[in-house]
Amino acid sequence: MAERPAPLEYNRRWQIQAWLFAVFFFLYAPLVALIAFSFNDSKRTTVWRGFTLKYYEKLFNNESLLLAFANSLTIALVATLISLVIGALAAVLLWRYRFPGKTAVEGAFTLPLVVPEICMGVAMLLFFTRVIPWPNYLIWPLNLGSIIIAHVSFCFPFVALVVGARLASFNKEQEEAARDLGANDWQAFRDVLLPHMRPALIAGGLLAFTLSLDDFVITFFTSGPDTVTFPVKVYSMLRFSVTPEVNAASTMLILLTIVLMVIMMVMQSRAQRKAKG
Amino acid sequence: MTRHPKSLRTSRRSILKGLGAAAIGISLTSRRRSAWAAEEPKLNFYNWDTYIGETTLEDFAEASGIDVNMSLFATNDELFAKLRAGNPGYDVIVPGSEFVERMIQANLLSPLDHAKIPNIKNISPEFMTNAPFDPGRKYSLPYTWLVIGIGYRKSKVKEVPNSWKWLFNSDAYKGRIAVMSDASELFRNCFKYLGHSLNDASPELLKQAEEMLIKQKPNIKSFHEDNGQDLLLSGEVDVVMEYNGDIAQIMVEDEDIDFVVPQEGAMRQQDTLAIPKGAPHPENALKFINFIFEPETGKGITETILYPSPNAAAVALMPESYRNNPVIFPPADVMAKCEYPNYLGPEFSRLLDEAMTRLRAA
Amino acid sequence: MATRTQERRFAFLATALPPIVWVVVFFLAPLAIVWAYSFGQNVSLTEVDVSGTFANYVRALEPLYLGIFAKSIFVAGITTLLCLIIGFPVALAIVFASERWRPWMLLLIMLPFWTNLLIRTYALMSVLRTEGYANFTLEWLWNQASWLMTLVGLQPLGEFTPLQLLYNNFAVVVGLVYVHLPFMVLPLYAALDRLDKSLIEASLDLGAGHLRTLFSIVVPLAMPGIISGIIITFVPALGAYLTPDLLGGPDSQMIANVIERQFKRANDWPFGAALSFLLMYATFAAIALRAYFSRGRPAEGHGI
Repeated sequence: MAERPAPLEYNRRWQIQAWLFAVFFFLYAPLVALIAFSFNDSKRTTVWRGFTLKYYEKLFNNESLLLAFANSLTIALVATLISLVIGALAAVLLWRYRFPGKTAVEGAFTLPLVVPEICMGVAMLLFFTRVIPWPNYLIWPLNLGSIIIAHVSFCFPFVALVVGARLASFNKEQEEAARDLGANDWQAFRDVLLPHMRPALIAGGLLAFTLSLDDFVITFFTSGPDTVTFPVKVYSMLRFSVTPEVNAASTMLILLTIVLMVIMMVMQSRAQRKAKG
Repeated sequence: MTRHPKSLRTSRRSILKGLGAAAIGISLTSRRRSAWAAEEPKLNFYNWDTYIGETTLEDFAEASGIDVNMSLFATNDELFAKLRAGNPGYDVIVPGSEFVERMIQANLLSPLDHAKIPNIKNISPEFMTNAPFDPGRKYSLPYTWLVIGIGYRKSKVKEVPNSWKWLFNSDAYKGRIAVMSDASELFRNCFKYLGHSLNDASPELLKQAEEMLIKQKPNIKSFHEDNGQDLLLSGEVDVVMEYNGDIAQIMVEDEDIDFVVPQEGAMRQQDTLAIPKGAPHPENALKFINFIFEPETGKGITETILYPSPNAAAVALMPESYRNNPVIFPPADVMAKCEYPNYLGPEFSRLLDEAMTRLRAA
Repeated sequence: MATRTQERRFAFLATALPPIVWVVVFFLAPLAIVWAYSFGQNVSLTEVDVSGTFANYVRALEPLYLGIFAKSIFVAGITTLLCLIIGFPVALAIVFASERWRPWMLLLIMLPFWTNLLIRTYALMSVLRTEGYANFTLEWLWNQASWLMTLVGLQPLGEFTPLQLLYNNFAVVVGLVYVHLPFMVLPLYAALDRLDKSLIEASLDLGAGHLRTLFSIVVPLAMPGIISGIIITFVPALGAYLTPDLLGGPDSQMIANVIERQFKRANDWPFGAALSFLLMYATFAAIALRAYFSRGRPAEGHGI
């Protein structure tokens, strides 16, 4: 038998391992089904009819799907970056300062979480057609501007909330100490607060990216004929039934994400090794 | 599957370009604005998915030099909600007949210049005269037509379920029934079962239908979002309320499936071609609509989507198996009892929606 | 040279202005239009006259809609609770994972969620349906068990009847948990990361069991994360309409479905706006209450 795990090595306990296994099984079983059906030789994904690669071939000929995909990634990346800045500032503002009307501001930052998607979609539709008509004929990627703005508006509160929870555990004396040692506000923020916020920024950024990449309703109302995103495209293709082509697209998306993440992590660990060595 | 024609002459290089663009997130689309042409050779077509021929758009580009950029919508409600605040740049749309009436009332459609669509002659005359939702067809031309009925699995039913009774008022197929979740489609077909016109906007009749469905609810497995054909094909249910064209598509895959229009009659619809107000390329739109009614184009579309086509010249080119298919063309005596739904006004829409909310909450 | 006070004031403005300006211009302004609509009435198919009427709210407060509100809150509550129970050990596992493994575990949690929601929901349906993988697996197990029983001389089990896993409220909750799990795991992870492990060691050294340590040390430390996780999970679950639409049975109607219908099928934007804003008023009331009750505690943060 293996030696008894040390007290803090929870991950070597079988209970935790079994739990993780069950959760990941729950998360991935449907995805395996999805990937399997991308090879199904039928127009539908309900019954297995044999193996084919034809939907991948179709996918690579489907330029508008690929372009929708590029639009989605661009929007998600830009919206995530802006949301991180605005969300982190919002969290710091609420955590550090007392000022008149703070409760109202806190409410305003929480509101985007509560607004039903469709309501926000309609609000954005009216805003960008009647108040600030966004010129849809701008060249790419400027024509995505209205979608990016709408996405930031519903993504940044998630960042603010996660960062705020993280800040609650921060020992304010650390920052005060840095200040007493002569650091100005900016230096104290950069050298003390920012490192503490890092895990929350990662988590919040992941959330914002996920939300933006997956948003259909709000994007639907802000998109025009030249600014179709992947979810808008998929949604109109799937409303009535699933087609293996969409499964093939998702499979490619999963593969692409894995490859990108692996490259990023390898680069990061190399950088770390260099820093250490 | 649908062809997606951003740039229609898809070469190997442009595929690679598209791929590269997807990978690094940079797309190469830009609006080509040609100042010298009266209208840039471009057209924004807003359509349903899998609702065009395999090569229709490429053929049109070849014949006219106009690139068609097709984007997709999923329901008439979405189409209406999106155009309500202003047209974001679509040239040709495909609204259902009930929504044509709504859009005309809402002043969202441009009149069609019939003189510029000579191929109207190919449309079967009954569709030009029998169109209560758009008298004289000033705003819309028929693209396909369809009728709601009952799709069923032959081996699981005792007899052909040729009455709405089996869906709305019987426990013979308890737990194996799926009906549509759209209030108008559901309740107004109940009106037919109750012996009324589906344009009978009386609150008492609606109440009666609501009570009948609340009683029936324990026997219903699902209120589906127009994906009834999937429920039937995957064996979740055995009798389902669905459009004939959708069932015709899965009958190709499963011989055990059939379709019948109930003897009481049912709701029929048309999907139409129309030009929304504020379309940036109205001349191209007329050329495109005219092209759709070419016999060969109509044939190409019909071969792909298998819906009944109002394009008589195209139907004549189709094989026997299509022309005599009783699912695609249900018998004339049943079709005579079917009706187009009128738009019954905002007050009745509200009543319908409330009835639906109560039914689902009951 | 800037004095300390000026510098502080500048720091405050630099922190406050970007988020406040953004939220006012790009969120509150668009929302104000819809808010105005909630006091209006339809005058034509496309025009709304903002007449200051409360009729939409009166209608939204009918028992029919309040009942649906209550049911939605119940379903979203159960979803949140399940996400917390399932997600907490996962977040702990990520926190205790080695530097090398941590990013991979985060990736594993997030990866399914970069697949489109609708595609994922259909994939889940292919697992749960009557002739789906869950039932295939159960049937196989059933038959093996039956075969084993005949082997030891017992009567075989009867015919396998597939479970009805789809088109009911159970399926809606499963679907919502499936969709919202990372909304819980990520804030928990963010709050617990780099927690002071010496506290746990001390607790264990002093003879407290693992469970007791968990509840008296780890959970309080994770409290801010738990609260933000609950908010982030509960609120979107309350607004979900696609999952109940696709996985639900005849009675699985949530408030978001009703709201969606007002903006689309029923074309009654004022009423849809009123229903949406009822949700928001409730949130504001909750925030105001929290502010009121925390007033007694020592003031947080320092002045400008």
